[in-house]
Amino acid sequence: MADDWTTRINTGVPNPARIYDYLLGGKDNFPADREIAEQMLAIAPVAREVVEDNRKFLRRAVEVLADAGARQFIDLGSGLPTQGNVHEIAQAAAPGSRVVYVDNDPMVVAHSRALLAGDNTVAIEGDLRQPDKVLGHPEVRELIDFGQPVALLLLAILHFVPDDEDPFGIVARYRDALPAGSHLAISHGTRDIPQRPDLSPEEMADMGAKVEQLYQLTTASLVTRTRAEVERFFDGLELLEPGVVEIQRWRPDGRTSLLPGGFYGGVARKR
Amino acid sequence: MTAIGSDRGGPTVQRMLVGAKLRRLRTDLGLTREQAADHIRASAWKIHRLENGQVSFKERDLLDLLDLYEVTDPQEIADTLALAREANHPGWWQHYGDVLPAWFRAYVDLESAASLIRTYEGQYIPGLLQTDDYIRAVVHAAHLTDTSDEVGRRVRLRMARQTLLTRDQPPRLWAVIDEAALRRPVGGPEVMRGQLERLIEATKLATVTLQLLPFAAGAHPAMAGAFSILRFGDQELPDVVYLEHLTGASYLDKRDEVERYLDIMELLCLQAEPPARTVELLQGILEEL
Repeated sequence: MADDWTTRINTGVPNPARIYDYLLGGKDNFPADREIAEQMLAIAPVAREVVEDNRKFLRRAVEVLADAGARQFIDLGSGLPTQGNVHEIAQAAAPGSRVVYVDNDPMVVAHSRALLAGDNTVAIEGDLRQPDKVLGHPEVRELIDFGQPVALLLLAILHFVPDDEDPFGIVARYRDALPAGSHLAISHGTRDIPQRPDLSPEEMADMGAKVEQLYQLTTASLVTRTRAEVERFFDGLELLEPGVVEIQRWRPDGRTSLLPGGFYGGVARKR
Repeated sequence: MTAIGSDRGGPTVQRMLVGAKLRRLRTDLGLTREQAADHIRASAWKIHRLENGQVSFKERDLLDLLDLYEVTDPQEIADTLALAREANHPGWWQHYGDVLPAWFRAYVDLESAASLIRTYEGQYIPGLLQTDDYIRAVVHAAHLTDTSDEVGRRVRLRMARQTLLTRDQPPRLWAVIDEAALRRPVGGPEVMRGQLERLIEATKLATVTLQLLPFAAGAHPAMAGAFSILRFGDQELPDVVYLEHLTGASYLDKRDEVERYLDIMELLCLQAEPPARTVELLQGILEEL
């Protein structure tokens, strides 16, 4: 607390959580964040739609999970509070559902504790790259019963974990630690979705490469992955229909945009 | 910076906000005041006054202008009408006009339109959470007045303002309170005991978050004084910073100025104890009294 607090928030350095907040129309962002977001929008005008589509994917995924009986959720890399947060969706679908928000960004944790935490909902500071620490955190242990299934959400976050930090090993560690009947939901940035009628595959790949370069300037670098790579995160699990697809095509409803692109998503169950 | 001092008959900030929105919509489309005026069968001067929040809005004019400005989202239209309606109709606080300085009236108006109120208090308990006795002790100490009738009215006014927290769809209150404000025995130990109990009670509301900034945190970026940041549900409306002085108040609404305060608020929230720990500490201070 009083130790190193001055160094723990630097609004002068662009930060992925605040860039995302800006793209979603939030007000918790600063000039450095908006500068990067605007550069990204100049490269990829679809970026704003894609992050909105990701929030819609989150809503559908949480509703499907609640339908499937999930009552405990751990949201890893939860980001700044926005409209339609996980606990609101989960507790509307199944009152009493328990939700843990985990993020390693102190500003995100402060906002989540103030604005999201409440009955059956906690927010903790933790790094998703340390599964044992996250799952062993006292507040997580207090709220989550690891004898019962858990729904683990990794939305728009694994693309901030480069290969040399072993993202596949990290996800496998979570998978192994959770009981049968648990679920895993993932969405992930990609540059290999060519189905948009308004963009060629080459244009999409070029945008992806430029956006990756841009994120080198922020506190977390971005790495897009292919469909095969995203599918690999689900190794050892049973993918729910329709498998790993563009988030816009994952169980679309009336509110889903019809232009796929930007992110892959999928939900799987542990037998 | 907008200084609200003596102009008691002037526009409310809320009306100014509706006006500012209309001005932005018009200029975005490159329309002149004359063109807008023609559309509502009025003068350019009328548009000028509307945009400055100097006259009340007729619903018909507002609808016609929103139509001209190509605003088609029904929610946005409804929200703008609601804001204008509130700006037109005297709020509950007008009954207290003679004891309420204009600058505070404007603040109460703006506060009641906010969706999120973030506040840092170094010396006082935040106004929205003060008890009747605490307010009485503060008003008495301020030496502003000494008739008990006047004190009573000020207290009732402050209490009426607090209904904000328990109305339907209340704004969220997120307050950082310096330990000094919790330790200073305003009105004596009995009054403070009641006040601390009130704070602990308030934390049970899902929409109220308190963070204690302990002495142990040492120097911090807001030692110069209290401030509040109001955030509004409408995406178009900027955050507004409110600074109260002994004889008036200032509003900051320029983005770079507001963001300095947002930045400081983020640091304070990190330096302060988390909400759950704060409740335990409040309990401790209460027991020490």
